[in-house]
Amino acid sequence: MNDRVPKRLVARARHRLVVRLTIIGVAVAIAMVAGAATFVFWGAYNVSALQQHTEPVYTLLNTALNRSIRQRAEDIEVPPLDDPAMAEQGLRYYREKCVQCHGAPGISRDDVGKGMTPVPSNLAHTARSRSPAEIFWTIKHGIKMTGMPSWQFIFTDAEIWEIVAFLMQMPRLSPADYQAWVAEVKKASTSATPPVSTPDPERGRLAMYGYACIACHRIPGLVGPQVDVGPPLEGIGERRYIAGVLTNNFDNMVHWLQHPTEVDPLTAMPDLGVTEQDAMNIAAYLSLLD
Amino acid sequence: MTTKPAFSVLLMPLFFAVGCNESEVMSLPGDPAKGKMAIAAYGCGSCHAIPGILGANGRTGPPLERIAERTYLAGVLPNTPEQMMRWIRIPEAIDPLTAMPNMDVSVNDARDITAYLYTLK
Ligand code: HEC
Ligand code: HEC
Ligand code: HEC
Repeated sequence: MNDRVPKRLVARARHRLVVRLTIIGVAVAIAMVAGAATFVFWGAYNVSALQQHTEPVYTLLNTALNRSIRQRAEDIEVPPLDDPAMAEQGLRYYREKCVQCHGAPGISRDDVGKGMTPVPSNLAHTARSRSPAEIFWTIKHGIKMTGMPSWQFIFTDAEIWEIVAFLMQMPRLSPADYQAWVAEVKKASTSATPPVSTPDPERGRLAMYGYACIACHRIPGLVGPQVDVGPPLEGIGERRYIAGVLTNNFDNMVHWLQHPTEVDPLTAMPDLGVTEQDAMNIAAYLSLLD
Repeated sequence: MTTKPAFSVLLMPLFFAVGCNESEVMSLPGDPAKGKMAIAAYGCGSCHAIPGILGANGRTGPPLERIAERTYLAGVLPNTPEQMMRWIRIPEAIDPLTAMPNMDVSVNDARDITAYLYTLK
C-alpha cells in the first residue's frame, strides 16, 4: 500500500522526463540545421586559399583523407619497383609534371605550389609515411578539393608505377644527389605510345573529367559546374554538324576532339592534347547522347 | 503583347552594360514578341531546338536553350547583342566555314530575334 503511490509518481516523472528530453533533442537538431544553413547561405565560411582550416577541421579532413586512401589502395597489387631504369623514367615525368607544385630535394615549389591550401605535400615525407600502393592510388585518382590532379589520362598505369618507383627513392636523395641524377637524365627521353584499342564509352565518360571538358560544357552523365562556354552536348549524337562546320561522324569527331583549332582556326575550343585513344573513347560516349 | 514594355525595361541595363555607343543603343532593344514570330517565319526551328517556338526541334545547329548565357556565339564570337545581330544576318562573314546559311534577315527582324533569344536564360 505504501509503495504504490511512489511507483505511479516515478512512472509519471519518468514519462515527463522522456517527453522533455525529446523536445530538447528536437530543438537542438532544428537549431543545428538552422545554424548550418545560416553558415552556408550567409557565406560565413571563408573559402580563401590563405585561410588555413582550424586545427580540429584540419585533423578531421586529414583523417578522412588517410582512411579513404588506405581503404581504396588495399587491393592494388604492387609490381617490383627496384629497377633503376624505372625510377629514372619516373624522374623524367616528375620533373615535367609534379615539381612545380611539390618541389624536390633542394628545389622549391613554383608560385602555383606556394599559394595553395592545402599546400602540396613534401613527397619525400610522403614516401616515408605512405605505402607504394597508396601513393599509386593518389597519383592515379587525384584528391578532390585539394588541387591534386588525377593523372590517369596523362599517364598509363605503368608510367604511374615508374613515378612511384622514383618517389620511393626520394627520401634517400640529398639535394646534391638529386641534381646529379637530373643532370644524368637530361640527355635522352623515351616514351612509347600505347597501342590503340576498341573505343570504350565508359572510359570516354571518365576521360571528359580528366580533360576538364565540364569546365566549358554541360554534358549529360557528368556532374560539373554546368556552364555554357561551349554548346551543351546534350543530343550531340544526333546533331548534323560538329561546331557548325564539320559533318558529324565518328572519325570527324575524333579529329575535332584532338585538333579543334585545325578544324576551325577561329574556334574558342582549345586544343587539349587529347590522345587518340581518349578521343575515340570520348567520341564513342558522345555518339550515344540523343 | 503586354509583356513588351517589361522585356524592354529588363533588357536595357544589359545593353548599356555592354558599352555600346549612342547609335547602337538607339538601334538595339528589339521586341521579343515580334522576334518570336520572325523566328517562326524564317524557319530557324528547322535547324535549331528553340524553347518557346512551336515545332522548333532541328538538329543541324546547336540547341538555342540558354543562348543568352552562352559565353561564345557559334564558338567563335564573344556573345553580345551586337554580335548576335551580326551573326543572324551574316554568319559567313563571321566564320566562313560555318554551316549556318545567310537567310537575308532584315536589320529590324534581326534586332527583334536577338531580343527574343536574350530572353532564353
Ligand atoms: C597543381 C599542383 C599539383 C600538381 C601539379 C601535382 N600535385 Fe600532388 N598534390 C597536390 C596537393 C594540393 C596535394 C594534397 C595535399 C594534402 O592533401 O594535404 C597533393 C597530394 C599528393 C600526394 C599525396 C601526398 C600525401 O602525403 O598524402 C601524392 C603522392 C602526390 N600529390 C603526387 C603527385 C605527383 C606524382 C604529381 C605529378 C605527376 C603531382 N602530385 C602533381 C598538388 C599537386
Ligand atoms: C540550315 C540550318 C540553319 C538555319 C536555317 C539556321 N541556323 Fe543557326 N546555326 C546553324 C548551324 C549549323 C550553327 C552552328 C554554327 C557554327 O558553330 O559555326 C548555327 C548557329 C546559330 C547560333 C549560335 C549558336 C551557338 O551555340 O553559339 C545562333 C544564335 C543561331 N544559329 C541562330 C539562328 C537563327 C535566329 C536562325 C533563323 C533566322 C537560324 N539560326 C537559322 C544552322 C542553321
Ligand atoms: C575552354 C573551353 C572548352 C573546353 C575545355 C572544351 N570545349 Fe568543347 N567547345 C568549346 C567551344 C567554345 C565550342 C564551340 C566551338 C565552335 O563552334 O567553333 C566547343 C565545341 C565542342 C563540340 C561541338 C559541339 C557542337 O554543338 O557542335 C564538342 C563535341 C566538344 N566541344 C567536346 C568537348 C570535349 C569532349 C572536351 C574535353 C575533351 C571539350 N569540348 C573541352 C569550348 C570548350
